[in-house]
Parts: sequence; structure tokens; C-alpha cells
Amino acid sequence: MDISSGALIKSHCVGTIAVVYASDYLNKLTGEKIERECRRQLDSGCRALVIDFADTQLVNSIGISILLGIIDIAEKNGAKVIFADVNNQTVELFQMLGLTRHVALAKNEQEALSDLTHPDATPTIH
Amino acid sequence: MTSSSAIDNFRRVFGRVPRHDFIGRTSEFERVVEQASSANAGRGLLLLMEPAAGVSELLRQSYDYLFNRRSEVIPIYFAFTRHETTAVSAAIEFLNSFLQQYIAFSRNEPALCHSTLTLQDLVELAPPTDLAWIDQLVQTYSRVRFSNDNKELVRFCLSAPQRVPPRAGRPFVMLDGAQLAEDMNGSVVLGPELLRVFSRSGSSFVLAGLRRQVLNAAREAECNFESLDMLRLQQLSTEEAHLLVDHVALRQQVPTSREVRDLLVQQFGGSPFFISSFLQAAREKNTALVSYLDCERLYVDELLGGHLRHYFDDLLEEMAPTLELRLALIRVLWEAVTSNEELTSVEAWRKRLQVAAADFEGILHHLHIYELINWSGPSADVTTGPQPWKDYLKANYRLNILSEPRALVVADTISDSLKRAPRTMARHYKELERIGLREVLNQFDCQRVPDVLFDYSGFAEKYKGASDNEIKSGLESETEFRKLPQTVHVASCSSFNSEMRQVCEAEKCVVAHCFDEGTYDDTQEVVWFVAYIEAKLEVDVELATIWYDRFDSLGQTLGIGRQQIWLISNEGFSSEACAFLAARSVATTSKRQLEILLNQIGDASQNAPGHLNNADEFLIVVPMGEENELLAANTVEHIARRLKFKPAEINQLKTAVVEACINAAEHSHSPERKIYQRFRVESDKLVVTISSRGIVPTNVGSGSISSSTNNNDDVADERRGWGLKLIRSLMDEVEFERVDEGTSLRMTKYIRNSAG
Repeated sequence: MDISSGALIKSHCVGTIAVVYASDYLNKLTGEKIERECRRQLDSGCRALVIDFADTQLVNSIGISILLGIIDIAEKNGAKVIFADVNNQTVELFQMLGLTRHVALAKNEQEALSDLTHPDATPTIH
Repeated sequence: MTSSSAIDNFRRVFGRVPRHDFIGRTSEFERVVEQASSANAGRGLLLLMEPAAGVSELLRQSYDYLFNRRSEVIPIYFAFTRHETTAVSAAIEFLNSFLQQYIAFSRNEPALCHSTLTLQDLVELAPPTDLAWIDQLVQTYSRVRFSNDNKELVRFCLSAPQRVPPRAGRPFVMLDGAQLAEDMNGSVVLGPELLRVFSRSGSSFVLAGLRRQVLNAAREAECNFESLDMLRLQQLSTEEAHLLVDHVALRQQVPTSREVRDLLVQQFGGSPFFISSFLQAAREKNTALVSYLDCERLYVDELLGGHLRHYFDDLLEEMAPTLELRLALIRVLWEAVTSNEELTSVEAWRKRLQVAAADFEGILHHLHIYELINWSGPSADVTTGPQPWKDYLKANYRLNILSEPRALVVADTISDSLKRAPRTMARHYKELERIGLREVLNQFDCQRVPDVLFDYSGFAEKYKGASDNEIKSGLESETEFRKLPQTVHVASCSSFNSEMRQVCEAEKCVVAHCFDEGTYDDTQEVVWFVAYIEAKLEVDVELATIWYDRFDSLGQTLGIGRQQIWLISNEGFSSEACAFLAARSVATTSKRQLEILLNQIGDASQNAPGHLNNADEFLIVVPMGEENELLAANTVEHIARRLKFKPAEINQLKTAVVEACINAAEHSHSPERKIYQRFRVESDKLVVTISSRGIVPTNVGSGSISSSTNNNDDVADERRGWGLKLIRSLMDEVEFERVDEGTSLRMTKYIRNSAG
């Protein structure tokens, strides 16, 4: 498990898949940290991103707009993105703002990794 | 004064009536007494009095209370009188009164206040501990008195209270009749001098005078208004005035009937001065006041030769010293009153009075400060002034200008007064149940109300014959709302076009200048033309057309850009009239609808976040940034848990609050960088208001907001503006409140019954 430099964003790599952990509050600051970490992982050769929201209690619209930016960046890099362990309230917000049209959701990190490792399986949307 | 012994020991010093007979003015009395407290040290209280509103007894009662309280506050009451003709003589009289009252208080001998004492007598009466400074004061006075410097002498006398050593207590000076100080001859203008001395004395004081004059004097004296408080003293309310009549009549042993009591209150406009003088006259003449005839006979006696006449004679004498000038003044004033013109050119008066410009200005100034006219530049409104003043003018005009026989004038005046009495009372009774359009329009402040309240046809279709409860519940489920504008000015139509006076009463036809959304720009400016049409049946299309044409034409004459016509009638409008008016976007309302509207506006105002008004309201203020929105989110979470909101709903509330805080921080450009959060708990809902000062966003009320200076080009910003969308999705009701600057977003979430 790597600790991204200068920030409290945790991440680790499973093969060419990077798993990035969102903090308890997803706002501009923490969103930008996730974005930076995702860019770093993509630059390092990762071909897929899993963003784990297991700790995330609250998100705001700026944080969500940054997530959309990350999806754009991943798309341009030919990388897949899966959001894992998103709580129901946050899923509701993602749906309201159309995020779920652009990203797959997985029940947890394992499921996300499994989906990416076995691309034929359909990711679960909670 | 709560114990019976304290009441028993209470001594009247200056009060003309016992404390329990001093009716009304409770809050004003408390305020004057409070002014004497050490917390108000160095502050002055200006009592701005409506003419004849009776301030003297208020000050005398305050004096007596403070005298009997025997605290460190030494009350001093000084009333300017017409007997003092110069500033110097008034100032000397003040010095004498001050020393006399100081010694009376020190020795606890109220009777000394009324003794005739020389300065030397006062030195001899001074308590040993005060002898040194009083003796010194008198000696210095003797020297200054003959120095030929009147200004210094006046200042010396007025500043006497400042010479009281702190150990002896704090003098609290109450000056009564400041308007008279203005009329004193000599090289010193006493009014502003008084204010200069007292406002810089470091002591608290009260200065009572006519409201139109005292403020001018304070400006002339270049007073620091930050150290001055103001209390406006108007006529008594109807209820207080009734009580006053009952008390005074009982005290003066004048039999009265309820009918006469009510008439007196209306005829004298609730003036304690006129009412008390009149009842005193009844006692002097041993007259019972049990019928209108008793009342009006005495009234005319008073007008032509009693207290009322002396009061107005004195006023006229102040402004017009010669008989010739007074008669000329009576002539021009009465002829102006009867001219049917609301505004009269004062230049024409000057020519007829043949007085120098400065003297003429003095006359206008006096008439204005006593509110007998409203003088503004080249014109004056003579329709103002109390009824007794107009009766006085008329009677004197007939007697002294037209030289009509006195018996005829007396008979006619009694007859006129008697004929007027039922009309006066009828107007009062109508007034009691009247819905004042000015008051209605003045309450418009961006409230949201069901649109059907402005659509008689729709209202009648849904609610005609429905009970109050049915209407109430029906309105609660209305989906079409109208946001009222914010009213900035209301005046009668006749103020804009005098011809309108011929077609309706001033209070039933008004013009209101407003702004939609409370946003002060040209596009939101709108003028409402409103009429209350008195009709016993539904207004027909002919009458509706007349009113529409009338307002439409007035709008064109006045060059109004955007206008809204609103017609109100007791019983609504016929179908044909409704169709005609609806096609022209005219709002139509019946009396029933108007009553409901008033209730709704009142409720909305009550709910508007102003002051914290109960225990179910919380206010927190946090600095912008540093993720402080989480503090607000945590607060709302705690409150929502108490209200048993479901976890998902709590999360929605938290997210909405966070978004509102972010919006406030991003768009307001607030210089103070603070976010105000108000949480109000109601039986069925939680209302959260997030406010900030700063820039008003350009498109408040639309789907998103942005500040006019926002020119970010970050890609992420393109996706921004989602905050309000989220809030609207998460909360049940979302509304921007009208604020002068910044934003104030009110969000409501209802508590669902199934919550658990």
C-alpha cells in the first residue's frame, strides 16, 4: 500500500489496477487530492482505477464535479474507472447529477477488482 | 414602589395628578426613568413630541418618581415658559430652579421646590457638605452676571449641574418645552445652546419638544447623534384616551356618558392636552357631558373663549406678534383650507401678508413645527392640523374678517359640530373594521402566497361557500404561487393626481412603488395601482372598465414603465368583469380573499428569520472556509436526529446545508467572510436558513446562482452550479429570501409521519 506524497490519500496497486481511497468528506480539497493521485497512478502505467468510498460519509457538488473530471482523464488514458463501496445516499447524489451514466459501481473493492480482472462480468450497480 | 408603605410615603412634587391617574405612557415613563440610570451616563434622550401630545406630565411624573426613589440620581425638571422672553432670563431661571431642586432633594423637602427663594436664601439652605460648591457657584454667577457677555452667562447657568461634586450624586436634567427656547429674543439662540451644553456635559438628560423642531436644533448644535437616543411621543391610542377621559372626568367630577367619551377622543384625536383641558373647562363651568349637545356647546365655548382659544391664540401670537398680522394670517390660512387645493403656493401668502422674507419664513416655520401645515419649499399643505384648529380658524375668520354677528357664528359652529359628530364617529367605526390599503401594500416583502388570492374567478370557483377550514386546507394544497414584490413607497392616488380625489377616498386608492424579488434594478421595478371598490354586489364589467381605464391612463400620465393593477371589492367581480380584467392581467380580489392574504402575509412575516424568537431556534455563525460547513452539517444532523428524521433524510439535510454554505462562500464575495446559519424547529418541519453578506447574485431565484464577478474558466467550474440543483432535489422547499446584500437561502424539510 502506498501513501501518496504530501497527502493523506491512501492508494495501492493490484497489477495494473490502482485502488485509491476517498476520505470521509469528499470536497474540493480531498477531491483534488484524489485527482492528483489518480493522475499519478495513470502516469505510472495503471490501466484501471478503483476509487473506494468505504470511508466517505459526505460529498459535496464540487467533489462530485472533480470525480467527473477524473472519469474524463481516465477515459482519455483508455483506463476504466469503478467506484466501490458507495453508500446509498451518495449513490443518490451521483444519480441526481448524472455521474452513474459514466461510471460503474461495485459493492466493494474486491468486487471492483474482480470486475476489472474479469471484464465479461457486469459490474453491480447498487 | 411596590410596598404599601412606599406608596403611602410617595409625595407629589411636580406631578399634577396622582400616579394612578396618569394614564397611558407607561413605556415612555419607564424609558425616561431608565435614562437616569448609570448605564446611560453621558447620553441624552430627545423626546420628539407630536403637538399637544402632552409631554409635561410625563416628565413631572418621572421627576416625582426619581425624587421619591432617593437614589444617587438627583432629578431636575425645568419647563420653559412663554414668560421668559430672553435666553439670559431663561438661563438664570434655570440656574435658580436647579439649585432650588438640588437643595430640596438633598434636604428631602419637596416643598422647597415651590418656595420663592433668592440665590442667597438657597446658599443659606444648602446642606453643610454642599455649602462650599454652592457658595462658589453663586459667587461666580454674580461675577459673570455683570460681565456683559450674555453667551458666557447662558452657558454658565446651563452648566450648573456639572458643578455638582460626584460624591453628592448625579443630576438628571429634564427640559420641557424646547420649542419655546427657540423664540427667545437676544443675542443667544437658546435651543441649540441647550443641546450644546448638555450633550457635552457627560451627564444624562432629557430634552422634550416638538418633533419637527428638536431634531433640527440637535443638528444645528452639531450634536453627536451617537450619544443621543430618541423617543417619539404620539397621541394616545383610542383605548388609552378612553381611559384618560374616564379618569379625568372622575377626578374633575364631570358626569360623562360613554357616547360623549368616545366622541371626545375622536374629536380631539386622542390628544391628552386637549382632552384634559376640555374636561377641566367642564368642571370650571359645572357642565355635565352626557350628550353630544352638551359636548359641542362646551366645545364652541372653549373655541371662542376658553382654554382652546387661548392655546391657539398663544400659538398665533408667537408667530404673528401684531393683531393686524394675526388677522391677515387667519385670512390666508382659512381661505387656503377652503380652496380645495391640497397644496398652496406660499409665495402668494407672503404677498398677502406683506411681511419681510425672514419674518415670513419664521411664520411658516412655526406653522410647520406645530404641524398646522406641512411646509415644503414653495408650497404648503393646509389640509393637515387638528380639527379644533380648523374650527378656530373658521370661527375667527367669520368673526374678525367677515365681521359676522357672534351669535350667528356660535350657533352655526355648534350646529356644524353637532352635524359632524355622527360623521366623526361613523368614520371611526368604519376605521375600526377598515383594511387599510397602505398597510396592506406596505407589508409586501417578497412573500409567497397562493396565486388564487389575486384571481377572484378562480377563488370563487374553488372556494365559494366553503368554510374557513376548508379554504385553509384548500390553500395549503395550492400549487400556483405568486411572489409578492417588495414595496418601497405607498401613497394615495390623489397624491399623484388630484383628480383622483373626486372618485374615491385617499385610503381606498393607492399607488405602490415596488421591486420584484426585492432586487433594485430597472427590470424588476413595478408600480402597483390598487383600488378598494365599495360595492354591495359583485363589481360589474362597466365599473371594472372604468377603474381599469382610470389606472391605465394614470400609468401613462405618470410615465410608468411596468405596472400591475389590483382591484379589490367587497363581494368580488362578475364573470364578465373577471374575464375583462383577466385579459388585461389585472389582479382581482374580494374582501374575503384580502383577509386571507393578510393572514398569509402576517404568517410569512412571522416566519421570516429576524430575531431569534423562541427556544426552538438556533443560530450559529462560522467563518467561511476551513471546511467549516461541516460544523453546520453536524449541527443540522444533531437537530434532525432529535426530530426523528430518517438517516437518509439526515444525510440529505447535511448535504443541502453544505451546498448552501459553499454557495454563500463562493458567490457572496463577503468582506467579513462569515456564514450565518439559522435552524428553526417547527412541529412538522425543520427550516434552515443560510445567509451571508456581500454581493447579491445576479440571478437569485433561477435554477442556479452566480456572482457578476465570477469569470472562472476552470473546466471543473463548468460542472459547477450544481449546488442549488442538489439542494432543490434534497429539500422540500427552497427559497431565496430578499436581502439587501449577499444571499439568504431558506430550505425546509418536512418530517414524514413514517419516520422512525
